[in-house]
Amino acid sequence: MMFLAWNEIKKNKLRFTLIIGVLMLVSYLVFFLSGLATGLQNLNRESVDKWQAEAIVLTEESDKSMNQSSLTIEDAEAIDAKELAVIGQINAVAGNGDVKTKVSLFGIREDEFIMPNVTEGKVFTGENEVIASDVLQDEGFKIGDELQLSSSEQILKIVGFTDNARFNAAPVLYGDLSTFHRVKFGEADELNLTSINAIVVRDDNIEAITTGKSLELMQVETFIENLPGYTEQSLTLNFMIYFLFVISAVIVAIFLYVLTVQKISMFGVMKAQGISNGYLARSVIAQTFLLAAVGVIIGFVLSLITGALLPSAVPVAFNLITMSIYGLVLIVVAIMGAVFSILTIVRIDPLKAIGG
Amino acid sequence: MAVLELKQVKKTFGSGHKQVEALKEINFSADKGELIAIIGPSGSGKSTFLTIVGGLLTPTSGAVIINNKNLSDISEKERSKIRLKEIGFVLQASNLVPFLTVANQLKLLDQVKKGNMTKSQLDDLYEDLEIGELRTKYPADLSGGERQRVAIAKALYSNPSIILADEPTASLDSDRAYEVMELLKNETKRKNTTTIVVTHDIRLVDYCDKVYKMTDGVLLQVNERNDKRDEV
Ligand SMILES: Nc1ncnc2c1ncn2[C@@H]1O[C@H](COP(=O)(O)OP(=O)(O)OP(=O)(O)O)[C@@H](O)[C@H]1O
Ligand SMILES: [Mg+2]
Repeated sequence: MMFLAWNEIKKNKLRFTLIIGVLMLVSYLVFFLSGLATGLQNLNRESVDKWQAEAIVLTEESDKSMNQSSLTIEDAEAIDAKELAVIGQINAVAGNGDVKTKVSLFGIREDEFIMPNVTEGKVFTGENEVIASDVLQDEGFKIGDELQLSSSEQILKIVGFTDNARFNAAPVLYGDLSTFHRVKFGEADELNLTSINAIVVRDDNIEAITTGKSLELMQVETFIENLPGYTEQSLTLNFMIYFLFVISAVIVAIFLYVLTVQKISMFGVMKAQGISNGYLARSVIAQTFLLAAVGVIIGFVLSLITGALLPSAVPVAFNLITMSIYGLVLIVVAIMGAVFSILTIVRIDPLKAIGG
Repeated sequence: MAVLELKQVKKTFGSGHKQVEALKEINFSADKGELIAIIGPSGSGKSTFLTIVGGLLTPTSGAVIINNKNLSDISEKERSKIRLKEIGFVLQASNLVPFLTVANQLKLLDQVKKGNMTKSQLDDLYEDLEIGELRTKYPADLSGGERQRVAIAKALYSNPSIILADEPTASLDSDRAYEVMELLKNETKRKNTTTIVVTHDIRLVDYCDKVYKMTDGVLLQVNERNDKRDEV
């Protein structure tokens, strides 16, 4: 099966190198875009993924936006779930005197599952201490930095760093609920001490959970899809990827078809000799598979290399499973592109080869 | 027992006033070990005859019987199997696979069919055809005569019982043409095959056991061996 395919490739190296080159570029683009899509998604969701939770409760009014949702610790106490955690959240701009950056402050309870692991430094214990996303480290923040906030008089102090802590494109600062309350409502406020933004639920059977009136329980995935910009970005990139699948099918179809048309008389001779359509078709498929596989593998390796060389500010993250699936799709799609050529071969009349 | 038999075979192309009767009731049979020449003017139906014998074209009426199998009773798939097993075509020189070396042209047949020549038979064949040195060459690097000999090797390699050659010497000078005929003759005798050669070249009939003349779709045997040249 590989005999014809391989010998032809060997004889016409330039021609087939070109096809491999084109397939390589297309797959490189696919892999890179998928890396970008994953990267942008992580930017929005990695802190949420870290919760490993099934559902989240917000107010109905908030329209699935944590920022706009306001509920109380009493609401959380009324919910009967296997495990839950409360969270207060506010967006701010934080600066250490040198650099400023957008952050998202999470107010949490130390003994609940949202409490992050500490990769460097220590856990917050005192007032206004926070664990920061290690992204801030790259931006020039250090342990011990005192942070001024845009919306508050409070000064926060970084005591530790944690990984995978970005929410809706902003690095997260984790502090306790009282720190969050001081930042959001001011020192003197006594009224809002039980105010939180959301309740996060870990429970396999979320259908059975009832919440108070005017509250909405949704799957974490639904919540993520409703983060500002998240679905739009994902859709755009995925659309580009799917479009590239179509493009690569068309490219392969055109290339192979042109090659096949050039070889019509040769196929005619082979058929006159009694070589079956099946054998010739398998041979074309084997050849396409070979070309596509080599192109995809080179594209794969190149995109990993590019990813490693890019500055960390570019949000690429390679999900090997997704990439493998896309790679397989590319190969399958290329083989579909070969169908035209196979149909052409099947239709060739061996008589034509003999001539008069 | 005839290897090949044609009974009342007719072939008509087209219809209405454009209708061409390419073959008019051909009755023909050939035995093992026979080298047969078909001669005749252009357009007389020689190629049509050969392609019908080879199972590439179906007759309008009549029967083509190869080794007791009636070609019109079987499917195209089986016909293609018969072509592969029983028939060796010698085609125009350009009909080699351009991206296969001489050796691989033959190896391709190993991919699709068993019962081809053994290694030592193949070596003999290379020697007979004087193409041993060309094994690693591609068709584009061969002369017309060399290509033709490779085409013959290809036809013989699968040990066919019938060899069909349409103008096998067309692209050769006369010395080479004689050599090719000599070779076809030897192979026919040694392997006991049935070989049919279509040719314009009257001088080649000397090599043949029987000569037929095709005129306007009518096939007639030219009788006396010695008079073959005179009669045509
Ligand atoms: N596919 C076809 N459709 C219509 N007419 C055809 C077809 N093939 C052959 N013919 C006609 O049948 C007749 C015999 O053709 P054929 O090719 O058998 O001649 P030939 O003896 O091989 O000629 P040449 O020596 O030139 O090769 C010619 O009149 C030709 O025009
Ligand atoms: Mg002809």
